[in-house]
Amino acid sequence: MTELAWGRRYLMCPPKFFGVLYEINPWMHTSVSADPDEAREQWDGLVAALRAAGAAVEVMDAEPDVPDLVFTANAGIVNGRQFVPARFRHPQRQGETVYDVAWFAAKGYTVDDLPGDAHHEGAGDALPFGSVLVSGYRTRSDAVSHADLSRLTGAAVRSVELVDERLYHLDLTFCPLDDRRAIVAPLGWDRYGLKLLELLVPQPLLLTDDEALAFCANSVVIGTTIVMPTCPPRVGRQLEAWGFDIVECPVGEFLKAGGGCRCLTLALDVTLG
Amino acid sequence: MAKEIVQVEGHIIDSLILAKVLDLILAAGADYQMLDVDIGRTNVDASKARIEIEAVDAEVMTALLEELHVHGVNRVDGADAQTVVTDRAGVLPVGFYSTTNLPTSVRVDGQWQEVQNPEMDCGLVVLPDGGLRTIPMHRVSVGDRIVVGRDGVRVQTPERPRGTSPFEFMNSDVSSEKPKTLLIAQVAERVRRSRADGGKLLAVCGPAVIHTGAGPDIARLVRGGWINLLFAGNGFATHDLESNVLGTSLGVSLQEGSPTEGGHANHLRVINEIRRHGSIAAAVEAGYVTGGVMYECVQRGVPFVLGGSVRDDGPLPDVLSDVVAAADAMRAALPGITTALMLASTLHAIATGNILPASVESYCVDINQAVVTKLADRGSHQVLGIVTDVGLFIRQLADQLCEPA
Repeated sequence: MTELAWGRRYLMCPPKFFGVLYEINPWMHTSVSADPDEAREQWDGLVAALRAAGAAVEVMDAEPDVPDLVFTANAGIVNGRQFVPARFRHPQRQGETVYDVAWFAAKGYTVDDLPGDAHHEGAGDALPFGSVLVSGYRTRSDAVSHADLSRLTGAAVRSVELVDERLYHLDLTFCPLDDRRAIVAPLGWDRYGLKLLELLVPQPLLLTDDEALAFCANSVVIGTTIVMPTCPPRVGRQLEAWGFDIVECPVGEFLKAGGGCRCLTLALDVTLG
Repeated sequence: MAKEIVQVEGHIIDSLILAKVLDLILAAGADYQMLDVDIGRTNVDASKARIEIEAVDAEVMTALLEELHVHGVNRVDGADAQTVVTDRAGVLPVGFYSTTNLPTSVRVDGQWQEVQNPEMDCGLVVLPDGGLRTIPMHRVSVGDRIVVGRDGVRVQTPERPRGTSPFEFMNSDVSSEKPKTLLIAQVAERVRRSRADGGKLLAVCGPAVIHTGAGPDIARLVRGGWINLLFAGNGFATHDLESNVLGTSLGVSLQEGSPTEGGHANHLRVINEIRRHGSIAAAVEAGYVTGGVMYECVQRGVPFVLGGSVRDDGPLPDVLSDVVAAADAMRAALPGITTALMLASTLHAIATGNILPASVESYCVDINQAVVTKLADRGSHQVLGIVTDVGLFIRQLADQLCEPA
């Protein structure tokens, strides 16, 4: 097996203005608010865990009125020095894009917008695996955006329909581990997606429904270290047998908004195509 | 039937999206035809497919398109039909769309409108309310909005009848070597089923129907309510009346088969008397005509159109000797007709074939195979030809459908 060629440099945004202020996925309940201090502590813990595993973390400024800016995975797609900003489905998140674009532009990235008006929610719905970019659609991203994404980045896209609203982004159902292995939540994929999985991933680690709903797939892989929101024993045994080190990093405050470790990070060292 | 052309692109083959889309179309009870597929050559190249979808109705189509849209499938919006406003009565614009007799839809202001009265060899006029009708050349008025070119016009290919139908066991369009009794029983069953569904039957009759002695059987079918509309010429009506008034057809006794003395003038004397009465109905009313096909039509209120020709004797007062007016009268009588029987008539069968929509199930019965072939050659492909003696055919059909005489 060969380690992932990406995943050693991340963009994150501190939870200065984070909170459950609206409900745009089944996990969010404005009646269940997040504790700001606890959230900051968990976020600092994640940054520390990533750095300890050998990853570099860059931090962008938090901004008021966009509490979910903290979930940088949805900022857009990074391809070398190219940045394709997300086009969010919900108006509540659309205000984030101006800050994301400003950060990448300031860093000298070429910013290429998706044409038309199709939605695509960035790396949250698109993860590279082997030579292709696996991208989810239905709940948040539109299938029609995948062809545009391919045209802009040169990536060979493999489209997967996400059929469970609770697993609304691809990164809640799919986590590439190396060039042959990936964590997959069959609960979230339709039968064509699972057929595709057979062709694409030689050794998948299939999550049970409970494991999937515990956000096991929303993990960050740095070489052979996996930073996970939680790791049930069965999953842990398999990952360890494959030679991975597991770091559990509680992010319970962010789970209240439907996001885990992966959602809080955006890999900056991805090259597609 | 509703038809749409859709397009899907991306890595649709490797992602199994195309397979899913086609499965969804079939699962919705719709059908598809791949118009073109452009398959990417490398792993990175995207593919593109254009698919024509056919669904049972617009409702199913709308639901299916909504579902397919989720998977990145978009409708290909074609162009509206082009139209030209006419500036001369009776003349279609240059480049006018020439119609077929098949179900046709036209896109006007982004909406597909079904042509209300498919008829071959006509123009298409956009009505003030946005509806579409076929229009024969001579009916064009100044200011009519006529479709030109082929953009925004869709013709639906004929559907092969499914289930039990005479077409099913007929492999050839024209049959001279098929078991006739079985065939006639099947036609009778189709006619029966059509009437049960609220359909109406048109009979197109040539004079041979009377000469072969089948007049009383047609009369039975009219009396039994099986025939709802009659198209014929001066000859058929004249010989029907002659046979009932004088017992001869073209002077030949229908009872004995022998020429009667002075019989060559019989039909002229009958025409003359009908002209004296003013119309066939008046002659029936006055008791001059007491039986036969025309008599039954008058008695039962079954409409008939008698189209004239240049060689007609008389003609009978009911005959429309202006052939353009006759064709218009035939057109006006067609709505509601679902089945047509064309019986031993060449000119009237072809005239009728010209104005019938392809959706009307039609049977052409003639002893001469050339008549049937000629009809098909003129575009009436929906016609099932039966090569047999018309007298035999009609008697057996009437026996199947009517109470014994």
